Order: sequence, then C-alpha cells, then structure tokens
Amino acid sequence: MEPALRDGDWVIVAQLARPPRVGEIVLARDPRVPERLVLKRVAGVKGGACMLLGDRPDESTDSRTFGPVALSQVLGRAIFRYAPLLRAGLI
Amino acid sequence: MFLTDLLKPKTVAYAHCDLPCGVYDPEQARIEAESCYKIIEKYHASNDEHFKARAIVIKEERAELAKHHIDVLWSDYFKPEHVQKYPEITELCWKAAKQCSKVKGSLEIGEAKTLLDMIDKIGDVWTKAGGPTATRIAKAAAARA
Repeated sequence: MEPALRDGDWVIVAQLARPPRVGEIVLARDPRVPERLVLKRVAGVKGGACMLLGDRPDESTDSRTFGPVALSQVLGRAIFRYAPLLRAGLI
Repeated sequence: MFLTDLLKPKTVAYAHCDLPCGVYDPEQARIEAESCYKIIEKYHASNDEHFKARAIVIKEERAELAKHHIDVLWSDYFKPEHVQKYPEITELCWKAAKQCSKVKGSLEIGEAKTLLDMIDKIGDVWTKAGGPTATRIAKAAAARA
C-alpha cells in the first residue's frame, strides 16, 4: 500500500458508520484467513461486498487473489496516521 | 510506562504485500515431485518397516512442498495477461495442486508420474510465457561448462 501506508505506520481506524466508498482505505478480514487483518483500498462496492485492491498492483495480494470481501468483513476505515510524527495526518 | 507504550496500536493489520523476489521456476516443484516418485520406488523395494515409515513421512512432506511451489507459481508468477494468452494454466495449476494431495496420501508410483507430467505441462506454459529469461539469473559460461 505504499506510499499511502508504510510498514510500521500507526493508524487510527474508525468503525464504519456507512458503507465504504471507492478510494477509501479500509480494515478488513482476509477471506482466506479471517484472523488476518488487511488494509486495502476500496476499488468497488456492489451489493453486500466490495473489491479491495492494493496500491501496487504488481506486488499486491488483494481481491484479485482472495476475491470480493463481504461488507460484514470490513471492520473500519483508516482515517488518520499518528506515527511516525513526520508523516502524521489524514489518510 | 512510556507514553509510546500507551499510544502503541493494539492491533496489527497487513497493508504490505508479498515481497516477490521474482524468481519462479516449475523445476522447484518438479524436484519435490521427483523426490516423491523415488521415495515411492524405494518404499516398495524395502522390507525394513522403520525405513518404510520414514519414507511415508518424507514423501508427505515433499508432496506438500510441491503443492506449495505450484501455488506460488499460480498466485505470484502467472499474471492476468498470461492467463489471457494461456487460459489452460488455471486448470493445469489447479489439477496439479490436487494431484499433490493424491501423491501425499498414496503409494502408487503412477500418481507420482502423473504429477510429474502435470508439472511439465505447467513448465511448458512457463517457458512459453518467457519464464526462463524473466525470472532466472543466467549461469556464468564457466559454470555451465
């Protein structure tokens, strides 16, 4: 997900108050391994599911591999990075 | 307690991806499959119960590795443009992975041979898709001689 998110970033994730929208970065359960949480960008929302894609298609493991993710498995939306301080700000 | 401990996130999520080294070769799966083949041969040639028990354990381990390598080729090496050009690759990888499970649970040499043939078919597509030049590092001329 670079450069939007980097390894080790500390981010605040808000619970979803509405369905996610295209372009937002969401926290979701990996459909293959539900205990594994992923942060990916929403590429499309249709019915009760959304397509999640990484920002680097060549290297990303995302909905192209694990398929669409049910909205019930989307836990929140990444809204703010608070560390590292130099890169703190809205996502 | 430091402030950073308080602020430290409680949950870890993965935003990063695989870090692909970019080296993919069906030969890796084939060598594991060859191990299975030879182990089954040796199993049937032996009368030593201890050796036979070990052979089964190791064969199951090798079959699992072959499956892993096929899965890596399928999920990491073959890209949508490859699938478009060689649509058969989806079924080849899928069936070969299933065949690994068969070999894992079987002592039939024929099952191991079938797996080798399936991996060779994947290898053909990998070669046609430019795999040898795209993913492998050429050996020095002296090392080849």
